[in-house]
Amino acid sequence: MPVNIKAVSTSISSVLRALLKYTRFRIGLAIVVIMVAMSLASLASPPAYKRWYSYPRDRPPRFSLEAIDLLLGTTTNGRPVIYITINALANSLIIGVVTALIGSHIGLLVGLLSGVSKGYKESATVLLIDSFVSIPGLPLLIVLAMSLKDIITIHTLPLILSVIAWAWPARNVRSITLSIMSREIINLARFSGIRFTGIVLHEVLPYVLGWHLTNFINTIIWAIGMETALAIFGLSILSEDTLGTMIYWALNYNALFRGLWWWMLPPVVVIISIFVGLYLISSSIAMYLNPRLRGYAQ
Amino acid sequence: MHPFAKHLVNRTLVAVATLLIAFNISYLLLRAIPASAVDTMLASIAQLGQRLDPEDYMRMRQTLMELFGLTGSPMDQYIAYLKRFFSLDFGPSFMAFPTPARDIVARFLPWTVGLLLVTTVVSWIAGNMLGVFVSFVRNKRLSRILENTAIVLYPIPYYVLSLALIYIFAFLIPIFSLSPVSVPLIRIASISDVVNVVVYFIRAASLPAISIIIISAFGWWFLSSRTLSISTITEDYVVFAKLRGVDIGRLRGKYVLRSVMVPQVTALALALGTIFSGALVTEYIFAYPGLGSLLYQSIIIGDYPIALSILSLSIMGVIISMWILDTVVYYVLDPRIRYAR
Repeated sequence: MPVNIKAVSTSISSVLRALLKYTRFRIGLAIVVIMVAMSLASLASPPAYKRWYSYPRDRPPRFSLEAIDLLLGTTTNGRPVIYITINALANSLIIGVVTALIGSHIGLLVGLLSGVSKGYKESATVLLIDSFVSIPGLPLLIVLAMSLKDIITIHTLPLILSVIAWAWPARNVRSITLSIMSREIINLARFSGIRFTGIVLHEVLPYVLGWHLTNFINTIIWAIGMETALAIFGLSILSEDTLGTMIYWALNYNALFRGLWWWMLPPVVVIISIFVGLYLISSSIAMYLNPRLRGYAQ
Repeated sequence: MHPFAKHLVNRTLVAVATLLIAFNISYLLLRAIPASAVDTMLASIAQLGQRLDPEDYMRMRQTLMELFGLTGSPMDQYIAYLKRFFSLDFGPSFMAFPTPARDIVARFLPWTVGLLLVTTVVSWIAGNMLGVFVSFVRNKRLSRILENTAIVLYPIPYYVLSLALIYIFAFLIPIFSLSPVSVPLIRIASISDVVNVVVYFIRAASLPAISIIIISAFGWWFLSSRTLSISTITEDYVVFAKLRGVDIGRLRGKYVLRSVMVPQVTALALALGTIFSGALVTEYIFAYPGLGSLLYQSIIIGDYPIALSILSLSIMGVIISMWILDTVVYYVLDPRIRYAR
């Protein structure tokens, strides 16, 4: 079946228009757009921001337009907080999005396969999913991060996070698939002579994809949070700036108790706003997909 | 064979297989850690100023390796560990040699279970009551405020909230102490000992407990029970009961709350199954003695007996709670599942 590009684009724009009616979607989208713009601005940061002591140390914020570098003050290492923040935001977003691209799609694939297959294939996939679900996630990540410490970069950390990220989504996709496969439409499609792959692609996948979209966004939140949790233990990429390592270094230099609030506050504010923004988007999508909740949206 | 017996056997076999696979994955991963407990021990001996010949050093290293069961082919070590896994005895701990790992874990277990059992149950009850309540009084100002608070609180990363709590309640208003808590040896001989232990526990556990309850009651439990009860209220049978003039209290209790409870009890059981791995971030941030921080310590040092015993405890917790759900709860409580088979 050829893909009708015009139909796809009109349906996407109608969904977007329906979503924009929700106040919470508009707020969430605005926050995320601001955050993405800030992370794009990180491309303009001067290379000197990475070097220690290239600026005076422990300077409080100064609100003047001539010196943007000192807008949010400097750290104890003499680095401008504003450039660290926007670079950290960009790196954390990359980690989140790449993990979601890898982990949630593995989950989708394994869950679908497990839901539509029968016999020993089904048992094997269920065993695999359940054993990954039952291993505690953060300790496993700590073990992985410790043993792979030498090769962790912004681009390999998402691979490690994906080892954990796929199991719960796979379990959920499996149960959604099972409930769809027991519906009458599947039998009807089978009796009408549609082949198995056709049934999976055209009857099952559309139902799962809506859930997959919200899960994709939730996986971004989860991955950014996990990176920060790893950083608290000093197991993230400490040589790069991410939101987690920024909090780690600020805590390490006791910024909280020495009164250097301008070092501690930016990563916390950025993390909370990106989480709230993404969560508002994902919950309004979930609301749009569940017609029973729609009337309660505004 | 009776269908229930067949179902039981089936589920038990699957649970045992899952247990074995999960244990194998965690064993393989743990063996990949670069940290070596033997070298840590030898380094601490060298720090004491003991002068050792290189030959003596190597001989000592060899003895320690044999003592800890780290010699032999990987297959032999694996089989030895598998035997220990089934007897639930993981041998002596490396970092507190020769105390058995089991005893050390047992010492930390009441702290974690005490904290997490209480917080999980309290936040489950509070969150569900609030969520169901809000869905009844929708479009009122109070429910709007509660809902918006939850939407902002839920996505806040846990450690950020707990750092804020520490900053406020231990630094600005010093109600709780910042110093780390050490595990007292709980020896109960008189009533004053009991009182001491209780006071100690409350002092150490209340701040972490508050942080967990705020996040999970206001976050996940509240939001999920609200969503569930809103979609139940718009269900046809509830609308019909309302039109039929069913008493409002009965409608809320028997018609809405009961059907909301099925998925929520499932989620509670799964949450209770995960408490044996401890709350790693909580324990680390609040310096609270529990299985999570013990696990972290043992992973950093390379103390496999302790790490493996905690990991298998928590894996068993999750799998047993899933097994109970699959067999007893679903089969007995939900008639639809019983007849579908």
